[in-house]
Amino acid sequence: MPLTPELRRGFWRTMCLSRAFDDAMIALYWEGKLPIFQFGAGPLPGELHCSNGAEPVGAGVCAALGPEDMITADHRPHHVAVARGVDLDRMAAELLGRRTGLSQGKGGHMHIYDPAVNFASSGIIAEGMAVAAGMALARRLQKRPGIAVAFIGEGAANQGAFHEVCNMVGLWKLPVVVVVQDNEWAVSTGKRESTAVERNSDRASAYAMAGEWVGTNDPDDIFLAAERAVARARAGEGGTILELRTARLAGHFMGDQQAYIPAQMKQVDPLPLYREKLIRDGVLSAEEADAIAAEAKARIARAVEFAKASPWPEPAEAMAHVFAGEPA
Amino acid sequence: MATDVIIPHDLWEEDDKTGSIVVWLYRDGSTVRQGDVIAEVLVEKVTLELVAPASGVLRIRVEPEVVVSKGDLVAVIE
Amino acid sequence: MSRILTMARAGREALDWEMERRPEIVCLGEDVFKMGGIFGTMDGFGAKYGPERVISTPISETGFIGMAAGAAMAGMHPVVDLAYIDFIGVCYNVLLNCASKTHYMSGGAVKVPMTLLIGTGGGYNNAAQHSQCLHATVAHIPGVKVVYPSNAYDAKGMLHTALRDDNFVIYLTHKGTAGVGWMGPPIPTTLAEVPEEPYTVPFGRVKVYREGTDVTVTGLGMSVHEALKAAAELEKEGISVEVVDLRSLVPLDREGIMESVAKTGRLVVTDEDYLSYGVSGEVIATVAERDPGVFKKPPVRVTMPDIPIPFSRPLEQAVLPLAGRIADAVRRLMS
Ligand SMILES: Cc1ncc(C[n+]2csc(CCOP(=O)(O)OP(=O)(O)O)c2C)c(N)n1
Repeated sequence: MPLTPELRRGFWRTMCLSRAFDDAMIALYWEGKLPIFQFGAGPLPGELHCSNGAEPVGAGVCAALGPEDMITADHRPHHVAVARGVDLDRMAAELLGRRTGLSQGKGGHMHIYDPAVNFASSGIIAEGMAVAAGMALARRLQKRPGIAVAFIGEGAANQGAFHEVCNMVGLWKLPVVVVVQDNEWAVSTGKRESTAVERNSDRASAYAMAGEWVGTNDPDDIFLAAERAVARARAGEGGTILELRTARLAGHFMGDQQAYIPAQMKQVDPLPLYREKLIRDGVLSAEEADAIAAEAKARIARAVEFAKASPWPEPAEAMAHVFAGEPA
Repeated sequence: MATDVIIPHDLWEEDDKTGSIVVWLYRDGSTVRQGDVIAEVLVEKVTLELVAPASGVLRIRVEPEVVVSKGDLVAVIE
Repeated sequence: MSRILTMARAGREALDWEMERRPEIVCLGEDVFKMGGIFGTMDGFGAKYGPERVISTPISETGFIGMAAGAAMAGMHPVVDLAYIDFIGVCYNVLLNCASKTHYMSGGAVKVPMTLLIGTGGGYNNAAQHSQCLHATVAHIPGVKVVYPSNAYDAKGMLHTALRDDNFVIYLTHKGTAGVGWMGPPIPTTLAEVPEEPYTVPFGRVKVYREGTDVTVTGLGMSVHEALKAAAELEKEGISVEVVDLRSLVPLDREGIMESVAKTGRLVVTDEDYLSYGVSGEVIATVAERDPGVFKKPPVRVTMPDIPIPFSRPLEQAVLPLAGRIADAVRRLMS
């Protein structure tokens, strides 16, 4: 698919939607937690890992996928979920623990499941690697179309699961794209401090996979690279490790002061950059760009309203859904 | 002679942020030494240490879970 | 002595004291150098001891916990921070087949002195993958000692004991009891006067927090404090509850449990771990094996049911073994 103006406007829209979602969740997160912080307080308790800065990854990669493709994401899933078209109302309701949530409040923000768009996530680092490969294997055995994409962080590329699964993907030429989102940090641990090679895409050769690296955090470049990886997978040429430099602008999780980040490593917000680029390229006027951003905010405001107006689950519902095949 | 224990101005960066005592590490009326960590202070999600500015008997003035600002008097050491 | 510490501070004091004196102690874990670990078990150690002894690892639990076992076999005493017990799935083989079994399989020829610090438990809406207790899952493995202090005094003394033990010790702390500021205000009963000098608290002895004559309530970690709340409530109703903290799962003080139940004749076992195949059954079996005749009424278990822990507040609150549920169980036994 060529990089049409329409596609690029879509990237902008997706990125705005994702940012608006995270900004709204951040505001909700701090409700009830200030002035005296307490983890379990407020409308959005627990941990919250926001995607601010990583929006281009979700927008660019998901645009290269078809509805039959399958996605696993990690503890920082919002940007991928939004780009994939996960139901926004029900996702917001899930984060607020409401009965109308995607999982009726059972999952929470790290555990987003929307089978309608083949989306799943997990809070255990690198768990999604094997799950994605297994999904790809299933489609091969079922002779059905569909590739799988595992979204992980650069920190996850040091888990054993990453290396075991890459080997099998290479060995069996499975249609898997491993998207390594390099935001430089895994909590307080820098990539240089944890990773023996500079680029995880270089590790591909050890597993007979293709390796690609994109350093711009720009959805245009990310889309084109993802398209190549997806094409290889669909053509039966096997998997790709696609490493994308991106950003983590809101800290590891809410409340992270990031004192460990040196001043010269301050990260750049990709949204204003892409907005400028689209205006420069004549794809959008400033007014059009801002109208899209405002629309996105309004859409997310409706999702938050929906979530807040939704009922809580009944306590007894905690016992349902342990096993399939039992009355809920 | 009594020494005021105030929340130091350099305990955290932003002047407009507030904090709270998480826990006093000595009971009211106990003897502390200058330099002892006498309380933990929470600012947003960060825990900071409050150090005794003098030796003597600690008289607690502000209990945990009360909002405090820089410069607030939270105890006295007699 | 009037210094009061949180569990996190008390534990750090023990580790610090041992590290100052014993070069064989080395700290490992994710984010330990700059942040002292997510729950601050090694706060400030990076600056004090440097990156050679306080090693921040990649997110490679199978690797670095296995390396800790190897280093232990080669004469070190590694102390590993694994923030959440939910992550043991990644490195379970080291626990299950290596660090726990090597001493036995070598006929006593090879020692594996290492200490694994792990946070457990929920109650703060962190959902199914970050709220589990799983202490029974590790206590089930032969060859590993498992301890579980619930207050600052024991936190320090038991960590000194662990660090001087020649075995693989898993030292658990319920995250809600540690007194880490951002988890919320410390639970008063977790705070304790802690001597500045080092001291040890032996493994394998229960701690009776509160003596009583009507009902024994056993707990561990957070459930001790819920039991204490329930006991205070029940006292107003004229029910005298004895609260027994197991605090050491391996070895387990079976005589200590028996002694209390023989006195009260009624037993409520609380446990934030899953109901089945766990500590709660073990406690009841301990009494039943010795003398089921001591039971005036069948014992009652108040635990996490056998479900993944739900995220939503009303769901999680409904399934945690909180004081209200414990008090109800006691009342039922007394009626
Ligand atoms: C198996 C496992 N180990 C440790 C953690 C704790 N943890 C959660 S997120 C994280 C850092 C992940 O870094 P990265 O994969 O680079 O993703 P990022 O947070 O930067 O998006 C860690 C260590 C976990 N969730 N699972």
